[in-house]
Amino acid sequence: MATAFRIVIEVGILTLLAWLVYVAITSPIAKSYNLRNVFVRWRSTLATIMGIGLVVAVFVLVQSLAAGLEKSAGNTGDARNIMIVRKGSTAESTSMVSLAQFQIMRYWEQIARDESGAPLISADLICLISQPRSDGHGEANVSVRGLKSVGIVLRPQVKLVAGRWFTPGKREVAVSQKLARRFANFHIGDTFRTAGNTLTVVGEFDGGNSAFDSEVWMDVDEARSLFDRESYSSLLVRMASPEAGKQIISRIEGDKRLPLLAGSEIKYYTDQTMTALPIKILGNFLATAMSIGAIFAAMNTMYASVGARTREVGTLRVLGYRRRTILAAFIVEGAFLAAIGGVLGCLLALPMHGVSTGTMSFNTFSETVFEFRITPLLAAKGMIFAVVVGVIGSLLPAIRASRLPVITALKSV
Amino acid sequence: MTTAAFIIKNALRNKRRALLSVSSVAVSLFLLVTLQVALRELTLPPPSAGAELRVAVRNKISLTNLLPARQRGVIEKIPGVEAVSPFTWFGGRYQNEEGMSFAQFAMDADKLQSVFGEAKMNMEGYEKFKASKDACVLGKITADKYHLNVGDQITLDSTVYPGSLSFHIAGIYSGTPDDRNMLFRQDYLDESIGQPGYVGMWWLKVKSADDMTPVIKAINAAFENTSAEVRAESERNFQLGFISMLGNVKTLIASISTVVVFTLVLVSASTMSMAVRERFRELAILKALGFRRRELFAFILAESFGLAAAGAILGIGGAYILYTYGDIGKMTQGIFVSFEVTPRIIGIAALVATLLGIISAVAPSVSVARMSVVNGLKSLD
Repeated sequence: MATAFRIVIEVGILTLLAWLVYVAITSPIAKSYNLRNVFVRWRSTLATIMGIGLVVAVFVLVQSLAAGLEKSAGNTGDARNIMIVRKGSTAESTSMVSLAQFQIMRYWEQIARDESGAPLISADLICLISQPRSDGHGEANVSVRGLKSVGIVLRPQVKLVAGRWFTPGKREVAVSQKLARRFANFHIGDTFRTAGNTLTVVGEFDGGNSAFDSEVWMDVDEARSLFDRESYSSLLVRMASPEAGKQIISRIEGDKRLPLLAGSEIKYYTDQTMTALPIKILGNFLATAMSIGAIFAAMNTMYASVGARTREVGTLRVLGYRRRTILAAFIVEGAFLAAIGGVLGCLLALPMHGVSTGTMSFNTFSETVFEFRITPLLAAKGMIFAVVVGVIGSLLPAIRASRLPVITALKSV
Repeated sequence: MTTAAFIIKNALRNKRRALLSVSSVAVSLFLLVTLQVALRELTLPPPSAGAELRVAVRNKISLTNLLPARQRGVIEKIPGVEAVSPFTWFGGRYQNEEGMSFAQFAMDADKLQSVFGEAKMNMEGYEKFKASKDACVLGKITADKYHLNVGDQITLDSTVYPGSLSFHIAGIYSGTPDDRNMLFRQDYLDESIGQPGYVGMWWLKVKSADDMTPVIKAINAAFENTSAEVRAESERNFQLGFISMLGNVKTLIASISTVVVFTLVLVSASTMSMAVRERFRELAILKALGFRRRELFAFILAESFGLAAAGAILGIGGAYILYTYGDIGKMTQGIFVSFEVTPRIIGIAALVATLLGIISAVAPSVSVARMSVVNGLKSLD
């Protein structure tokens, strides 16, 4: 029902827009007449443009936040890797792979080797630790990933940008650069306490906008002893060839000793994409409520504009312009006004592009860093939004203008 | 004609514009109230009765690290502690739903009444919960959502532990701020999962408010330098800690509120000045008739104030009625529960409306004050 209603409205608006474009193109009224008129009453016009601009800016920003959040895990993984977790677990932190299971798989010939002949397989442990934020407002959970040194090789999108990688056994960690900014003790040289031990930050890495941007890395076996865990959380392997990859997956499925789930690493993280539903609800609610306000503002401006040009409209009619041409002219004027507002809104939102922010992910139950992502598509949506506001807002004033009785209009002062 | 009648007549002369102005003010204030209420609910969750006597104990590393069951004996012996129950997150999914729609915790059936006394349930429910191992109690909101009744069986797939568990509903409780959780028995979890000896958290009740601080201190000290150090804190602090994990959401909503207020002032002020500019000639006549600047200012101020007030009554009142009598849980798909419009929030919105009335009157008043009568009479606009 709701969808049908929406479709009707959307088709209606599109038809209206198409008709407008048609009339505007074929219209004998010089376009510059309308466009110049936009700037005549500049004070109220400016206020309306800015009002629409701010509404569009909020719309674009909230949507970009949702887009960034949904993309935060999507950009993760290497196409040559296979990720192995416990069946039924929804997050790596609740997955479990025992040491025995790791030993079974470790030397399978389907796993690629490095130059020295060692298999490219990493066993990881994910553990959450609670750490103070840098702004002094409380604590948040942070994902700590314990991994074997081959685990770094398996994740080429993670690059060390400062300091060095951790040395196993020396209670050292490397921290994502974006995470480091958000927590109190995560800069190189800082120390923090967890599980009764003091860890030192020796390096900062850049995860290339992947899920690894929300992690702290350390040696896996050290992490197991630190957090008192018997097993690993997940395994990551590089397949020798795509064919070998399929064999790994079917071997695991066929082996009763391995109640595990293997699949492409990229797919694992894409499936982890968390829902930005609350943000989207907020965004839609705001867009709806604020657009109503913006429509009122546009209406006011356009009514005033029509009122002030009553005589001009009368003159145009006397000259032979038709009602529908005048109707279209005023709607185009409103749409143009709103489009300027839309551009302004996108420009206002643009500086936020790439700014990273963070919230707790309900998937991993830990701090997830993500960026505002203002994509061209979003900017286009913002513009369409603005133009729709302008068209709806100028519809009634334009109808009024087109229906002005010629004689009275000419007489008016 | 009295002054008041004159002002009202003027305000309503262009009825369409008056209506548009009032509506845009109303919509914006409605939005402002909504955002403030959402912000308040996110940052200050509604406290539950009995919270001031409750203490939450979690692993110091983080909430997700388990605690050894042997800690219980130590905690129970601390003076001032009335009752202790384990509280273990099960992370179960019901009916293959994508996300988790309600939380489930394993606890001690005997301690439900003493630790979470505000959850109201009939005695039969408590008896059944204590009597059978696979019993569970369910919050009323969840029970209503899935049309579950006492005696029904439900099966949940755990995302934390391997496998799934089946439960019989022993009772349905209500009376907590958020009646959604499901509670079942820790001994059932231990037995089925085969990993006894660990619990998620400890929740306990102290005997009096004076015992709170000493008990928290004693618990923290008791496990210092053990393999499982703990963090004990009041229920309120625990909730606030949970909220601080949400990160920048607060800043986000606060900045949107600011933008909304700014847009509102901008648009309304422009509308008001439009109304006044349209009457420049009349105001010039009034001036020529001997009305003083401050009288003209009073006319304009009264008019803009009246419009702002009308918008405020509609917007704030509408929000109040909607959120007080509407079912907010259903509207937001369970993200918000109480959504209370507090007097403070109403006050903030009313203040914004007042400022709006004043600011909107300033610009036109200044230009009216500056205009010369001759120019005003000449103006055609």
